Order: sequence, then structure tokens, then C-alpha cells
Amino acid sequence: MTMNDVPVVDFLYLAAILFGIGVFGVLARKNAISVLMGIELMLNAVNINYLAFAKYWGNGNLTGPVFAVFVITIAAAEAAVALAIVISIYRQLKSANVDEAHSLRG
Amino acid sequence: MTQALFYILAGVIVASAFLVVTVRNLFHCALALALTMFGVSGVYLYLGWEFLAAVQVLIYVGAVTVLIIFGIMLTRQVMDDHARVMNNQILVSLLAAGAVALVLFLVICHSDFQYSNHPALAATPTLTAPTYADEVSSLAMGLLNPQNGFAFAFEFVSILLLSALIGAVVVARKDPA
Repeated sequence: MTMNDVPVVDFLYLAAILFGIGVFGVLARKNAISVLMGIELMLNAVNINYLAFAKYWGNGNLTGPVFAVFVITIAAAEAAVALAIVISIYRQLKSANVDEAHSLRG
Repeated sequence: MTQALFYILAGVIVASAFLVVTVRNLFHCALALALTMFGVSGVYLYLGWEFLAAVQVLIYVGAVTVLIIFGIMLTRQVMDDHARVMNNQILVSLLAAGAVALVLFLVICHSDFQYSNHPALAATPTLTAPTYADEVSSLAMGLLNPQNGFAFAFEFVSILLLSALIGAVVVARKDPA
């Protein structure tokens, strides 16, 4: 391992800060697309944790990076479906704000 | 030197992530998100996961950000710079996000992660998993190894991707049948 000089906790701190920023984005932004961007930030924070632990403590176990692959895949699928829903809501309401989309009926 | 590289990357990631959630113009938000994803892929590279770093750039910077930009352009009215971008629970959100980050920080501080090697882990012998020539083949074995792989989840994710693709087309279609 070449990067033993950076302790694994620093990766965890970075991921925690990124996750906190993502939580703030999800809770505070009005626009649905901004909320989606906050979710992407949180998923990336999780991936940093997976890969840092796999490298430092993995002992050759590849479950961490395998789950990082799953997270990336599912994030892409989620982004596609979420944007389709946002566009559909925008057609109905002429707005993409999450506050205004409070009715499930079309 | 390489240590400094990580902290510079971390600074770029945190700064651009902060821009993602605060900037008024949604288009600029998406560009900041692309920068954040680049930074995260730099962290993957730093950790030595070259293939996953390439996947991160391809999927997040290449696909998800472009998808988001398309979404922003198709809902153009929201690019209005004068409207408020935050809802009226900004203080509560700040509190909640701070609480989440604080709990995570406390957990990390009080854990055994400070040590470079966990005492319990040091006792166990290193796994005798066969090492493969490169990251891609070892990742493929991790996914599809018949003994302890994730072949079922792998197939399931492919079905999920297909159904998400079809579902997105159906939901976003102009005139529902």
C-alpha cells in the first residue's frame, strides 16, 4: 500500500462532511433536481467509505468495491427515473418544486 | 507530497459540494456537481481503484450530470435566478445536517479506526483469496465467483437497469396512452 501516510479516518471525515452537505441539500432546496443532486452527493460519500475501508482493512476481500459498483449502478437508474418523474410533474404543474407537488392524482 | 494531494482533493470536493447545495443557478449547480464527481474519482485513484475511478467519471460526469442538465433544460422555468432556491425550513435543515455530521464525527472519533490496524483484524490471518493480475479481473471474480460472489445480485441489477430504462421512458412520455 502506498498511501499509508493518510490515515483511514481522514477518508471517513471527508465522507461524513460530504454526507452532511448532501443531507442539507435534500432538506433545504426547493427544486426537485437539486434534491436529486443532494442524494447523489450522499451516495458518493458512501462509496468513499466503502473503497477506503476495502483498501485499508479489506485483506483482499472485494465485497466493498463490489457494493460500490452496485451503488453506482443503482444511482444511475435512480437518476433516470427521478428525472422522468420531475419532467412529468413539470408538465402537470408547470413547476418542479417539491413543495407544490403534494397531490398524487394526475 | 502524495499526502498533500489527498487534502487538496478533499478541499475541492467539499468546496464544490458546498456550491452544489447553495448556488442559485441550477445550471451552475450541475457543473459544480460534475467537479465534485471528478474530485471523488480522484480520491478513488488515490486509493488505487483505477477501474472504479474510470467508471465514476464515465457514469457520474458523463451520464448522470448530462442527464441532470437535460432535466434542468426541459424544466426551463426553474432557471429563473430571482426565485428563492431554499424552502422555509432552511434552519431546521441546517440543524439536521449538522446533527448527522456531528454524530458521524463522534462515531469516527470514538472508534478503533484511529489505529492503522484493528487489534481483532491483526489477529486474523490475511485472506488466502487468490490475487489476480489487475483490478478488473479481481473485481469480476468478486462479483461472479460461484463460491462467495454476487452473481444473483449482478443479474438482478441488470434487470433493475432495464426496468428503470423502460420505466423512465414510460413516465416521461408526452401523451400517456
